[in-house]
Amino acid sequence: MGDLQPIQLQVLAALLFAIGLATVMARRNLFFVLMGVELMLNAANLSFLSWSRTMPGSVGLEGQLAPIFAIAVAAAEACVGLAMLLSVFRSRESLDTDAFDRMKE
Amino acid sequence: MITQVYFWIFSIVALATALGVLVSRHPIHAALCLIGTMVSLAGIYSLVAAPFLATLQILVYAGAVVMLLVFVIMVLNSAKDDHTPRWDAFGWAALAPSAATGFFLLRVLLGADAAHSFALRSTDPPAARGTVEALSALLFGDRIGAWSFLFLVVGLLLLSAVVGAVLLAKHHLDSPSAPSTPRPGGH
Repeated sequence: MGDLQPIQLQVLAALLFAIGLATVMARRNLFFVLMGVELMLNAANLSFLSWSRTMPGSVGLEGQLAPIFAIAVAAAEACVGLAMLLSVFRSRESLDTDAFDRMKE
Repeated sequence: MITQVYFWIFSIVALATALGVLVSRHPIHAALCLIGTMVSLAGIYSLVAAPFLATLQILVYAGAVVMLLVFVIMVLNSAKDDHTPRWDAFGWAALAPSAATGFFLLRVLLGADAAHSFALRSTDPPAARGTVEALSALLFGDRIGAWSFLFLVVGLLLLSAVVGAVLLAKHHLDSPSAPSTPRPGGH
């Protein structure tokens, strides 16, 4: 019981993923959709890290390498997503997800 | 034992602040809750022998991504956007598939043979694992592998994301964002 078992991290990651998915699907504000995506990416990173604990040596260390790339991709995604949000807000004066129905204009 | 205590504290804080993101009314409250989630996840990362990843989590997520989010929330001043409802009928209905996803994920996880699939096979201390030295030896090893190629691809991805964000956020592509004529009172 002393050491942290991988199953505990997996359960936490599953709960965080479900909360992020609920935020993406249920909220109408575009900011909340972006934050829900970030929560789901974090849950996936936690799951990677938990699997890396089940492997010995440098094989398990590769499970710590994958979240680094996921963090880089998440930074790029937030950058582009916020720029799209700005341009949609300029043309529609709204942050509702329904304002995203036509991207080209 | 102390690891368990810290894990429970961090995980309860992470779940509570994630729920705060889900239910909060103003985006700035949700962004502050998101910082709480990121920081407690960084604490969990450092508990499971990944100190470099914990540093990156705080630097990139809590430092850069959420800060960008807060800047954009403040620039847009989305308090003006009161007519967007927090929940509607579709929102309430969308909670059900999310809960079902979580339920089935938990069922698969808890139904698995924990002693076989989730056995703890690396009990190295944090000093021996997940450091910058170990990760960079794996990333830029003695030969050009898949990871170092992926590193170059991430550089290209970040560059194109920055260029794309500038193009998207600019008003008109052909007009300069600032007047180029010097002010008359300037020296």
